[in-house]
Amino acid sequence: MDRRSWTIDEAEMRHWLQALIDGEMIVVAPVEEDGVVLFRPITSAEQAVVEPSGKTRWSPKEFLFPRSEALYRYRFKGDRVQLEDPPPVGRPQILFGVRSCDSSGLARLDEIFLSGTKDPLYAARRESTTVVSVACSAADAECFCTAVGGSPVGEEGSDFQLVPINDGWMVRVVTDKGNDLVGDTADGWAAASADDLEQTEKIEKHVAEQIERNPVDSQWSKVLEGGFENEAWKRLAEHCLGCSVCAYVCPSCSCFDMNHEANAWCGEQCRSWDACTFAIFTHHASGHNPRSTPQKRYRQRVLHKFAFREDEDEPFRCVGCGRCVALCPAGLDIVDTVTAAVAAIREEGTDAAC
Amino acid sequence: MQLAEAVPNPYQPSLMRIDGYSDETPDVRTLRLQFMDSDEARSFGGWKPGQFGQFTVFGAGESVFALANEPWRSNGDGGDVPTIECTFREVGKVTTALRSMSQGQVVGFRGPYGNHFPIDDWKKKDLVFIGGGIGMAALRSAMLEVIERKSEFGDVVILNGARTVGDMVYKTEMPRWQAVEGVEVVRTVDPGGETDDWDGEIGLLPNVFEGLELAPDGRIVVACGPPVMLHYLFLSLGKSGYEPEQVVTTLENKMKCGIGHCGRCYVGPFSVCRDGPVVTWAELNELPKDY
Repeated sequence: MDRRSWTIDEAEMRHWLQALIDGEMIVVAPVEEDGVVLFRPITSAEQAVVEPSGKTRWSPKEFLFPRSEALYRYRFKGDRVQLEDPPPVGRPQILFGVRSCDSSGLARLDEIFLSGTKDPLYAARRESTTVVSVACSAADAECFCTAVGGSPVGEEGSDFQLVPINDGWMVRVVTDKGNDLVGDTADGWAAASADDLEQTEKIEKHVAEQIERNPVDSQWSKVLEGGFENEAWKRLAEHCLGCSVCAYVCPSCSCFDMNHEANAWCGEQCRSWDACTFAIFTHHASGHNPRSTPQKRYRQRVLHKFAFREDEDEPFRCVGCGRCVALCPAGLDIVDTVTAAVAAIREEGTDAAC
Repeated sequence: MQLAEAVPNPYQPSLMRIDGYSDETPDVRTLRLQFMDSDEARSFGGWKPGQFGQFTVFGAGESVFALANEPWRSNGDGGDVPTIECTFREVGKVTTALRSMSQGQVVGFRGPYGNHFPIDDWKKKDLVFIGGGIGMAALRSAMLEVIERKSEFGDVVILNGARTVGDMVYKTEMPRWQAVEGVEVVRTVDPGGETDDWDGEIGLLPNVFEGLELAPDGRIVVACGPPVMLHYLFLSLGKSGYEPEQVVTTLENKMKCGIGHCGRCYVGPFSVCRDGPVVTWAELNELPKDY
């Protein structure tokens, strides 16, 4: 595939975005709603909040993995039951203005939903979704992508990328799907110079310097696994309220619940977002609950992000967007927690902890 | 790449008719189910002992039960009809709704899911099945298969434990198991759970197991029961000289999707529905204590 790249100004970017909106696909982009920036389908390019930095309150995962959806439906016909397919996945969509951390989050979702038995609804949406990511030229206070192996200009999970340079944009094709988005529009665009491409590296370095977080070391996974029963977890998770806002805003959290919503005539098997930090998540019918305390549940969430990896090359399941840090009502910080847990485990020795 | 059309819906169940049922105890029932659609019945691939299924009560929800009867395998001519049995206790919303259903009514089934007991590795070996309460349901398929192919295995001891005499499952079929040469059935109830005419053992399963003085040499122990029972059983097994590789159990975690996606049944990196539910004691020792 031809990795084409161009340098365009703000007006050209907006003009292209409008052309996409006028096309066949639904365009979903960050918009400001009551003072909060959220991903929403847009009808005009002016609505989109596409800035050199800053992120939406919620990740865009709900456009691939909705908060709630029917997995199949049924009708009662006397003594019989008639099964029906779930509502079809809608028109193809473009997720425009997705931050690098969030597009990595989509790649983490792919690993869950497209591995083993494929999830047909997710697969259909993923297939008909094109991701236009936008690199960051500055870090928000809560950001820590570079501490977990990500990059403010990372391309993972995206099909086309915008990089903010010189008050304009360096734009580049990442996949064939992304290539299809530019079409004739690109005929009038100026090809990116070597200097423009070099700026990307400068941005990456610049943002990395702004992120004052110690990196999470790849080898910590094994330390965390070895210190599973370390007493420090009680202290580290003491303040967790179990509200699960962390999981809901997380771009890579993918746990879900399944329940029947029905009346006397019809019903559906409904899938909804769920979180391992909820008390009844693992509650057995017998009454036994393997994760009986908020501390055990918080530990599960943290370890599922940073431990239990098959090998050291496997990415962490935390992409470093920092939303959980910014929104936790108890002020818990996942990087601080991991750092402190590793320190405590190393101090006491894993043998003492078991 | 047309993912969408190539992928069948793994969540949509097959419709099954309740062909019959047996009440094991006042709150435990075994259902017999048959496919309503003859094409689905013909294409059903059967299962292996230890695998489980998701059972739907339309309007109430889905529950996970072990596939409890002797594995059905197609004879290839499409003439035989698969019957699926599950044994469940009335505990929550779905099981209460399921318990209230009658013969001829429609439920959903999807599966089989999970791994299975390595029965073929047990050939020529002596076997002990230890089931605590409803835990027997997860062992029944394997027990019935072993009893059916008894000549391939050594001596078989089946230890069926319950809280009280009234809570003991599979009461009516135990005499049939016992009648097979080389099969010994030991029944036990917790102290205080006996009746005046109780002729079985009285004692907690781990203690009764120790009392049997079954030497470990090469013997395979297959156990399923509540976590607290397994905890003490493993202590007894260790004391009696059993190696963790000799002991097989099942992790019966809360599950929803059955295909490793919903994230509910994880024990560390181990997804019980996808990688389990059957594990050896040795494998269990490698997992974090999160079950």
